[in-house]
Amino acid sequence: MDWLVRALYIAWKDIRVYYLKAPNLTYGLMMPVALYLAFGVTGQMNPGTLISGLVSLVILFGTMSIEAVAVVMEKQTRTMDRLMAAPVSPLTIVLGKALAGTFLGPLIAAAVLLPLTLYSGESIGSPLLVFLAIILSSFTFSALGVLVSSYAHWVPEAQMYANFLRFPMAFLAGTFVPLEAMPPWLQTATKVLPLTYSVEALRSAMGGGATPTYILDMMALALFSAAVVAASALLLERSRG
Amino acid sequence: MTEAIRVDHLTKRYDGLLALDDVSFDVEQGTVFGLLGPNGAGKTTTIRILTGLTRSTGGAASVMGLDVARDTVRAKQRIGVVPESSNVYEEMTTAQNLIFAAQLYGVPRREWAARAHELLELLGLEDRARSRVLELSRGMRRRLTIACALIHRPEVLFLDEPTTGLDVQSARRLRESVGGLRDMGVTVFLTTHYIEEADQLCDMVAMINRGRIVALDSPEKLKAGVAGARIVEVSFSGDAALSDLNGIGGVLEAHRLGDKYRLTVSGASDVYGGLVDYARAHRINITGLNTLRPSLEDAFLRITGETPGDAEAVKTHGRNP
Repeated sequence: MDWLVRALYIAWKDIRVYYLKAPNLTYGLMMPVALYLAFGVTGQMNPGTLISGLVSLVILFGTMSIEAVAVVMEKQTRTMDRLMAAPVSPLTIVLGKALAGTFLGPLIAAAVLLPLTLYSGESIGSPLLVFLAIILSSFTFSALGVLVSSYAHWVPEAQMYANFLRFPMAFLAGTFVPLEAMPPWLQTATKVLPLTYSVEALRSAMGGGATPTYILDMMALALFSAAVVAASALLLERSRG
Repeated sequence: MTEAIRVDHLTKRYDGLLALDDVSFDVEQGTVFGLLGPNGAGKTTTIRILTGLTRSTGGAASVMGLDVARDTVRAKQRIGVVPESSNVYEEMTTAQNLIFAAQLYGVPRREWAARAHELLELLGLEDRARSRVLELSRGMRRRLTIACALIHRPEVLFLDEPTTGLDVQSARRLRESVGGLRDMGVTVFLTTHYIEEADQLCDMVAMINRGRIVALDSPEKLKAGVAGARIVEVSFSGDAALSDLNGIGGVLEAHRLGDKYRLTVSGASDVYGGLVDYARAHRINITGLNTLRPSLEDAFLRITGETPGDAEAVKTHGRNP
């Protein structure tokens, strides 16, 4: 378990150096609040349905953006070489970085979830299942941030790669438009987007039960995150030339 | 003695460009080994392969008996790495950087504070423990980078261009620290393009040029290998023409160095008479005359077949050391 301990130290370092900064913390919060005002307050969408989508969205934008920037910053300041020269495997480094987002994701999610549920009067069916869905979503999207920054050499480049994934996901993963309302081919396409599973899992948990849908969504998220972590570790290993 | 580092027919290609060409050498434990060469010669590539940051294209390298390509993580546990540019976290304090290094290398928690304190004292940073790296000078950051590389008490320390960009005082202090490490039994592998630095610090020197090792010996033996040629430095009360000095019997080459002239001669005593005659004929006095032994720079130029102009990238007089 020595590798996990070292991954946790890398995560704590990332939180201290990159995450706990006001611009980073507010980055993912502004858009969901604006979207709630646009769709929820105006009655365009059911607040209960909207809140779970917004919580997934805030985790996606918060953790993925910060981690993508953190990896590029590490490359630019050559501190990535410090990590690569240490007796830790690329997998440990990637895990550490993904875990940083996993610790912070719930805080960002709570900053949206709690005020919106209080304001709308919606209830949180199963807090434990909601928490688990938030944790797994945070890990997945944070790892995705590491992956998209693998080929980036500067911050705008990383943001560009991140946008290729974030914006299609934000609007096609059932966040604002129910999947059932989409044509069959588009519904099939949404199955490859991890945000789809995050939104569905949160909706099920907000509804209160560990439904088969919730379990399948969580399994899909777990598989997706494992694949992303493995791919990121492989790319980091290949960066040794 | 046993080898701390073994490099065996190492080759590295980058996109078809041969950066290292069949490089082989051993480094004995407890010694300071210098890899000397101009920029782009292959020094950093060698150090990156030895520290597991880059993979070789061919050949093998081991540190403390561990293959750096196959047993990478275990080999890294036994080495410390100080890269060319200081790579400490600017947002963290000096002490926080040291503690993070201790965490990465698996130093027991109860020893973190004591080891950090010991290294801060050793490297003269004890009063900057709570300073953020952003507030430190370049020399202090360099010393902190070294401290981070020593926190787990490595058996081998790799230093890539340790004094590049430092002021004279910081560079001297750092060289003293390297000497102290050797006394503590640490094997030090350093790359440098400062020839005098290698001369002062190293027990053994490998000269690398265009990816190939062109000489490997102790600095004294390398200098002794420059047979025949001697250096005479002379200064006059007035100006002298280089073409005249080149015409004096026994002078192989003449250069102006500030207010004096540096003559490469076949035999020092052969030119004394010629210099006196020259001074008399031009009604100027000889104000200084020194005979020098060949330097490591002379050995480098002789071995690589470069002229001083070609080897400008290899820093020598009046520079950092």
